[in-house]
Formats: sequence, C-alpha cells, structure tokens
Amino acid sequence: MSAKAHNHGPVGRVEDKRLVTGGGTFAADYNVPGQLHGYFLRSDRAHAEIVAVNTERAMKHAGVKAVITGADAVRAGYVKPMHTLTFPGKGGMQTRAPERPVLAHGGVHFVGEAVALVVAESAEAAQDAAELVEIRYRDLPAVVAPEGALAPGAPQLHGNVPGNLALEAEVGDAAAVEAAFARAAHVTRLKVEVTRVAPNPMEPRAYIASYDARADSYTLHVCCQGITTLRRHLSAYTGVPEEKLHFEVGDVGGGFGQRTPAYPEHGALMLAAKQTGRPVRWVSTRSEGIACDTHGRANVIDGALALDREGRFVAMRLDWVNDMGAYLSPASMGHIRNTTTCMTGVYRIPALYATYRVALTNTNPVSSYRGAGRPDIAYTVERLVSQAATELKMDAAELRRRNLIPPEAFPYKTPTGSTYENADLPGLLEKALKLADWKGYAKRRAQTEKAGKLRGIGIATVIENTGAGQAAKDEVELELDAAGNITVYTMSKSQGHGHETTFATIVADALGVPFERVRLKQCTPERQHRLQGNHTGGSRSTVGAGSVCHLAAQKLIEHGRAAAALELAVEPSQVEYADGVYRTKESKRTLKLGDLARSKPVSVIAEGKFGSTFPNGCHIAEVEIDPGTGAAEIASYAAVDDIGTVINHAVVEGQLHGGVAMGAGQVLGEKVVYDPGSGQLLTGSFMDYYMPRAGLVPAIRGAEHATPSSVSPLGVKGVGESGCTGSLPAVANAVMDALAPLGVGHLDMPLTPSKVWHAMQDARKGRH
Amino acid sequence: MYALNYVKAKSLKEAAAILAKNPEAKLLAGGMTLIPTMKQRLARPTHVVDIAGLSELRGIVSKGGKLVIGAGTKHHDVATSAVVRKAIPALAGLAAEIGDPQVRNRGTIGGSLANNDPAADYPAAVLGLGASVVTSKRSIAAEDYFQGLFATALDAGEVIVRVEFPLPKRAAYSKFHHPASGYAMAGVFIAQTAGGVRVAVTGAGPGVFRWTAAEAALAKSFKPAALEGLALDASGLNSDIHADRDYRANLVRVMAKRALAKLSGRK
Amino acid sequence: MAKVTIKVNGKNQTRTVEDRMLLVDFLRDELRLTGTHVGCDTSQCGCCTVHVDGRAVKSCTVLAAQANGANIVTIEGMAKNGKLHPIQRAFSECHGLQCGFCTPGMIMATAGLLKDKPNPTDEEIYKGLEGNLCRCTGYINIVKAVKMSAKLLRGKKH
Repeated sequence: MSAKAHNHGPVGRVEDKRLVTGGGTFAADYNVPGQLHGYFLRSDRAHAEIVAVNTERAMKHAGVKAVITGADAVRAGYVKPMHTLTFPGKGGMQTRAPERPVLAHGGVHFVGEAVALVVAESAEAAQDAAELVEIRYRDLPAVVAPEGALAPGAPQLHGNVPGNLALEAEVGDAAAVEAAFARAAHVTRLKVEVTRVAPNPMEPRAYIASYDARADSYTLHVCCQGITTLRRHLSAYTGVPEEKLHFEVGDVGGGFGQRTPAYPEHGALMLAAKQTGRPVRWVSTRSEGIACDTHGRANVIDGALALDREGRFVAMRLDWVNDMGAYLSPASMGHIRNTTTCMTGVYRIPALYATYRVALTNTNPVSSYRGAGRPDIAYTVERLVSQAATELKMDAAELRRRNLIPPEAFPYKTPTGSTYENADLPGLLEKALKLADWKGYAKRRAQTEKAGKLRGIGIATVIENTGAGQAAKDEVELELDAAGNITVYTMSKSQGHGHETTFATIVADALGVPFERVRLKQCTPERQHRLQGNHTGGSRSTVGAGSVCHLAAQKLIEHGRAAAALELAVEPSQVEYADGVYRTKESKRTLKLGDLARSKPVSVIAEGKFGSTFPNGCHIAEVEIDPGTGAAEIASYAAVDDIGTVINHAVVEGQLHGGVAMGAGQVLGEKVVYDPGSGQLLTGSFMDYYMPRAGLVPAIRGAEHATPSSVSPLGVKGVGESGCTGSLPAVANAVMDALAPLGVGHLDMPLTPSKVWHAMQDARKGRH
Repeated sequence: MYALNYVKAKSLKEAAAILAKNPEAKLLAGGMTLIPTMKQRLARPTHVVDIAGLSELRGIVSKGGKLVIGAGTKHHDVATSAVVRKAIPALAGLAAEIGDPQVRNRGTIGGSLANNDPAADYPAAVLGLGASVVTSKRSIAAEDYFQGLFATALDAGEVIVRVEFPLPKRAAYSKFHHPASGYAMAGVFIAQTAGGVRVAVTGAGPGVFRWTAAEAALAKSFKPAALEGLALDASGLNSDIHADRDYRANLVRVMAKRALAKLSGRK
Repeated sequence: MAKVTIKVNGKNQTRTVEDRMLLVDFLRDELRLTGTHVGCDTSQCGCCTVHVDGRAVKSCTVLAAQANGANIVTIEGMAKNGKLHPIQRAFSECHGLQCGFCTPGMIMATAGLLKDKPNPTDEEIYKGLEGNLCRCTGYINIVKAVKMSAKLLRGKKH
C-alpha cells in the first residue's frame, strides 16, 4: 500500500521554476488597492506600567489615518489569546494564563511588545509618526531568567499568575524512580540549559488585513504554516467567528513552527482595517522579528540517570523549568507533551518521572520551534547517557547498545504512557557506527592532534513522535477535468517542504498518470471553509495530508470505476483501472480518466486521521577544536535515519540537512540574550545573533534504515524536524568529548569559542 | 530612515563646499556603514553627499617606497590589485576579509577610516604600517589620526583623499572573525618597517592601538615564542556577551602569533 | 525628490523617488520586480543581492539615487527567452532551495562569485557566500549547486 519510492531526477521540483526566477509571491510581494500602511510602536523596556498614552501629535502627522492602542484592543475584546496548556497539572492544577490585549494595555511585559499601531498612507509616514506617540511608563523591576522568575521575591508579571508559575505538571512514577535510584549502582547527574533561540526563517512577517463591512468579515493576507490553526487561534483571540475570517497565502519563506500561531499583530491589523475602512499592510523588519516573533526551546532541565551494575538504565528523573516568556503562546504544549512522549528516548528505562514548571518571564513568548521539545528531550537524555559512559569508562556506543529497546519489544509502551510504533534500533546503531567509521576514530584523533588541534566524537541515538495532528481529520479534494488534469486541494501549507512536488507525486503514482497532470493548491479561499485539515508543522503533512492524497486518488479511481461501468454497460467488477484508463475485462473498450469529466469536473473528497509516527536516527558528529581560540568546527557528520517510506529522496535529504544545521547552529553559537538587570534584548539583530553560514556543516554522510510504518497508508514517518533532534545532542557530545581529556565537565550551549576557551583555561587551573 | 537630501558631488571642492554649508551633511562613498546606520535611525544627516564617483579619490599606485591608495577605492579592488599584492600583500589579504563579497564591492578604504569602527580592519593596517591619511587639507600621521571610539582627527568638512602606506620589509595580518557580525573580534597587523617592528591591534579595544610590549619583544627576537607570557593589559579591552576582556587578550596574543607564522614563509 | 534613470535588466527605467528610497524598494515597489527580497535590516542576509555595473551588491544598502545611471541585473534578468540561466538550473537540480526566499540573492551572489573564481574550492565557496544566509537547506546542496553552476558555465557560454 505504500507509494513507490520516487528518485529526484534532473527535473527538480515543481515549485523551483518560479522560485529561481524571482517569480515566487511572498507576503511582502502583495499589495491591495487602497491599502494603508501600519507601523508598530513597540515597548523599549521589559517591564513597566503604562501610565498614559497620547496619540494627539502622531495623529496630526501628514498621511496618518489612525493610531490604534491598547484601549482599542480592550474595547473590542481582543484580549484573551488561546493557549494549549489545557491538560490538568500537578494535583489537578489548571493553567493560569495572563490576558494579552493585542496591543499592550496597562502594562508592558517584554522589550518589543507592541504598544500602538500607527496607520498612514505610506510606511515611511507611519514610522515617522510613530516617533510622535507619547507613552509615559512607570518602570518596574524585570526578571528574565526562568528559575529567577519562580524564586520567592521575584518581580510578579501578572496578577493572576502568582509566583510567575503558569502551570506545574508531573508525569511518571515518582516512587518507583526514587526506589530505583536508592538501589542503583551508579547515578549520573546533569543540569542542562537548552537555550532560547530565534527561529529566524528568512522571510520577515508581513500581513495585510482587510475588512468587509457588509459581511462583517475579514480577509487576511498572510505568511503562515496553514490557515486552519491560525484561524482557530485568531477566532478565539478576537471573538470573530471562523466563518468570518478568510485567508490568502502565497509562497512562504520558511516557518519552523514560528508561523503557526495567531499573533497580536493579526488582531491589531484587523482593528485598524475596521476602523479606517481600508486594508492595512504591515511588513516586519528582522530586528522586529527577533524581538517579537515567537522564540524556541528555552528549557532548563535538571536530570539524573540511574544505572545498575551491568550498565543498564533503571530509572531517570527530569525536573524541567520551561521558560515561556511573558505570555503563553498558542503552541506552548510541545515542551511538556512531546518531551513526555519521548522521555525514555530509545532506551528501555523501567522507571521514569518528570516534573514541569512553566515560568513566565519578562521576555518574548516561546512557542514551537523545529521539534517542539523533542530535540530538548533528546539532548537531555543523550547528554546524560554520554556522561554516564564517560564516568563508567565505557564506550559511548556500547552503553547505548546495551540499553536500546529491542526490535521484538515493539510496539513499545513507554512508562510515560506513549507507544512507539516500530524501530530497529540495534540495526540503526550498527549501520551508523559503520558509516561513521567509529572504530577508526582513534587514528583520526591522532592526526588532528598532530596538527595541534583537539578532536571529539559525539553520538546520539534518538526517536521522536511526529505526524499526528490536532485537527479532527485531514481532508483532501481531487478535482478532475476533461483533459485528465487533476487539481489537489489541501489545507496543508508548504513553507519550503516541496509539497507541490511530493503530493503531486503521491497522487500521480496512485493514479498511474504522468506527474505533469497533477497540480497542488493549498489553503485556497474557495476550499478553506469546506475542507478540514492540519497546518504544516510537527512533521505531519506527508503522514496526514499526503496519505489522504493517496486515499483520495484511490477514491477517485473507485468513483470513476462506477461511472465507467455505467458508460461501458458492464458491472463495476468487470472494470479494471490502470495508468489513467478504465477497461472492461473482456472487450477492449476503454474510458480515459478525463472522459469521466467530459460534461463537468469530477470532484472527490477523502479524509483520514492518523496517529503519531516514530522516526528515529543515529547521528555521529566529529569536531575539531582550535585550542588557541576555542573555535569548534564540524569535521564530519554521519546520519542514519529510519524515516519509513520515502516519497522523494532529495526533499527528505534536504529536510535533514536543514535540521542538522539548525541544531549545530544552536549548539555552536545561537542564543537569544536578555540583559539580566534591565531585560534589554542584547542579540537584537544579525550583528549579535549568530546564524549558521555555508561551511558550518560541510557534508553529511547519510543512509536510511527504514522500518515500515502502518500508521499511514504510505508508510512514511514524518521527517521534517528530525535533523535537529539528532544534531543537537550529537554535536554537543562531540565537543564535550574533545574537551573531556582536559578535565572539562559539562558545558551548556552555545559552545562558543569564548566559552570553550575559558573552560579549557579553568580546567588547566584545576577549577573545573 | 529619516528624510534626507541626496547630492552627487561633481568634485572634491564641491563636496567640501556642501559640507561647509551644511554642518549636518555626511559624505557617502560605499555606504556600507552610513546606510545601515541611517536605516536604524541612528544617524539623521540633512544631506548625503555622494563622492563615490570622484576621480580625485581613485587610484592605486606604488612608487617612491610608498603604496598610495585613493580613498574611494573599494575593498575588492584593494584585495585583487596586482599592485597591492606585490607591494603589501598583507594589505590585499586584509581587504579580502572585510565584511563579505557584496560589502567588498561597495565599501571603501576612505569610508572605513573616516568611520573608525573599533572592529574595522583597515585601522590596524594604517597604524601597523605607520601610514599617512592625506586629506583635502593636510597629511595626518597614523599616530595622530585615530582618536578613540568612532573618533578621528578629521575636522568638520575635511575629506580623506588618499592613504599613503610606506612599504614595509614584510607584514602580515591575522583576524578572528566575530561569529555573528564578521567584524574583527581581534585583528593583529604586524609589520617590519623601516622604523622597526609595529604591532597594531583592532577589534579588541575601544580603538586600534599598538601593542608596544610585543613590538619591543619582537624587536629582540622576531619569533612567535617571543610573545609567550607577554604582558597585555586586558583591563582596557572590550567586554561583551560574545567575548570578555580575558578572552580578547588571548585572541590578540593568538592572532599576533598567527600573523608572525604567516611571515615565516616569506622573504 | 530625485529623478533617477536606472537600466534594469536591459531596460531604462526613469522615476522620481524620495531621496531616501533604497534601491531594493525601487526595484520592488516602483518596478514591481519583487524577486529581490528583504530579509534583514543589518545588511547581512544577502536576500537583496543584485548586480550593479557587473558587481554583486546588497540593494538594501544602496540608495536608488546612488544607482542613477547604473546598469542593474536582478534575478528576473537571469533567464533569457524563457530559458533558465545555468545557475538557476543548477540550484533546482541540486535541490539547493526549499522555501526559495534566499534563493534569488543566493543565485546573484553565486553569479558574482563564479565571475571572480570560475572554479572555486569548497573554502572559496563558503567565503563567497559569506554574505548570504539560508535557514532551510543547511547549505550543503547550495554548495553542490555552485559547483554544478561552475561546471556548466565553464562548459558553455551563456
């Protein structure tokens, strides 16, 4: 039932032609007749009471049509964003969620929070006028570190979130874990920070909001990862019913989870459009985006792993502090849900227990970012395991081998209640060790040392849950015309994923028709209120919408078979279908697929809902460190991944490359930094926020080790995020391995040249 | 950015006249520093005077023991000039590492020196070689030119016309790139000049400076070992989230050694 | 206001614009050539790269007025008569793009690099693309695309 593997030939992707010629239409490429331009005035301080807002001078500036403020937001009732920490916490605790008017009202809680929206005839006029908006603040002390925010005496951000604790949750069996630790032969402890990072897709945000007074409806031209989730969030935030929210979306320049949620800016622009009666356009800048587009990760984990005398894992305990920023973003649950699902990693660990404390801080809200917690848990577990191996003087691969969930144990029910579908972890590990020439490492290290550098090797064996969505189902419509062309309508939205190629492949393969006959359309205005479906995120689109594309093709064939039987005057059982043609079993009479649509187009809608898939991988990185400067470089990278069936190898490889680079970037340099005292953002532009460049990951030796998945008809496992789930721990372990002989213990990311150098000096002085 | 008036100067004289008449006017050559600053609304010139095309600011000539580079010369042209590569290859190498290729296609040596960013590269070469900054009014020795953070000896309305580099016996530059911005986190220019060894350091402090202890040590023994354990007062160096003063002091030492190592292979 | 005449992709374009208008905005807003993108505000990401008088330049860091009289090629000017430029072809065949936002700038930077270095090593490619950021691809296929471009360009005159 799985699609034929399709090798990426010399054709390239369908979407390439327009993208390489500058013909893509990204959000800022759109203009609407009669549009006005918006400029957001943003808070320049981390925590303050808003004493007064005076827009008089700004309103008098040439070209200004309106200045929207928090008072307008409150008046309209645009104050309560959706969040997804909707499961009960410890002792049945309900999440305490602060209100967040789409424009700040009463107080500001992070640098960059939008306080007013100036609307004018030109973007320049709006920006010029914004400087005339007078805001009087009363500064309050700020707290930017999550543990600090939870400590007694910390500045309180919101009245309804005492102690800045939005939720406390726990999972697993505390008693069993405690008992196991008491008996354990060895316990390894590690406290890690998985840093706050800025996803930074290359396209800055841009929206145009229009209001139709007659229909009392809004049309938003946006960049997003799909409109269903966005619409649901925005409807909850503004009270505008979903059927009154229409979206248009073209090409999207990357997303990585940052473009999934509804933002305050959506709501503020809606207010402006309604008030002025004209469309209002806003194009963000990069600095604006680094400050106020949702951040990723930002977790502190205090962990311990207990082992028996044979080096088998008997228990693990993790205490999390999840920094969620000043407000709960709509996609906040991943750091608890996903880390719970994958807590045991690829290992059999009989007893698990984790606690979570969600802290609010005077920083930008945190949301999903490529992996949404799964890279975080993979990193924590893999660092603990590698550290245990070092402490026990065991080979890092051997300790893992000893503890992998064996193939016969699948489907494997983990102690935290999740069930892993299928994997061949021992086979995966062996393949990776061979691919990386694990055995030959000593020779390479000797060569590096001769050249005056340090070398380290890091391994990570990881698994993650991908694919399941939150929508009731994924629906796909196929529309067939008389020429035999098929248009595929989905509610997924590619942001570089190549769905126009891969989904067309799925349908073309299932129908046996030439690829060129199939065209994908995503989130179209005409279908968006008719079709249900998940947005594209969480590596779910191929599993979900892609599988339904396959089902829809099969449905079309069956629907066509019945119609063909009528036309050919035989029983449907007498009709065969292959490669775009129906033929009767006995006579030579045929009917082309397109003939069915002779009088009018034929449309079928298929649906499906699929659970999680469990891609897994073993990544092995080697780094070289220049002891003079502390700079680490990736010398080699090998990755063996179990991603099930592959529709398009180049596309999948590309996703892995991108994910690996993101993880490597986070380990080696990326970090959002706020000044601890003032809460000012110190990494506000690319001048200070490190971004991976060409050469960071020079090459990846890759291989597949697929085990079939029966979760979806295609047998695919969602792979979009997997690269960084592997590289975050692999690269970190490699650097730590290089430094271990010097006596350097754990170092938190980012492992910048300065940090590495200092650690080496401290170790030399016996201070580490 | 704020509204401004753009004027294309037809001559140096005209440029100087506009500057004299409009105290808030700024010169625009490559624009690689001025335009980003204006975009951030950190600068608000009334006029930008485009001098990029002026022939008076062009030219690369080596004669009479001096390499003379017009202030309007782009980094790419310095990096690829056969004249520069022959006369002072270290200077060509330095220019080849400024910014990125697109920046090098616009940015100019005059613009870089007029701005005097503490992490720019050219100041290290100018101070390291004991060059002279020749302006529309006078010739300023390197010693007198650099006056601290973004500050130079230039008077209002004074325009850099060319830079005159005395040819060294040999020279080398080694730079540690800031991981995010690409600027020098520490850049060390070492030259054996007619007047002795000069070691100029950029990126590490509030402005380019000479590491006199290193100069003295290298004068005695021109070897990397001479820099071992040498005093470098870290207290005056920059400290930020990317690098504290101790790390910068280390980088200065390491870049100095690497610059020296580059010289060991040459005449 | 400044009256500028700029040759863009072979065609002279005359407009009257604000002195502070950036070249990238001139291209995008005045000429509706939206293939050149704005990805940052500190002149680092390279999404806005075009060729000005034959050299790769960040159009977000040039005033339209500065480009008066110049000869500019944007991504829209690379394909000829509907036929993709070898670099465009190479990027597609090597899967050197995913979302496509950085791609026009990346292609223009590649064209500039290969002009200066027709047969670049890996290190020279990394250095040549220092002014261009990509968040999707991890760069590995971009480097492959540059190498394939070099081969195609060395093999024929385009």
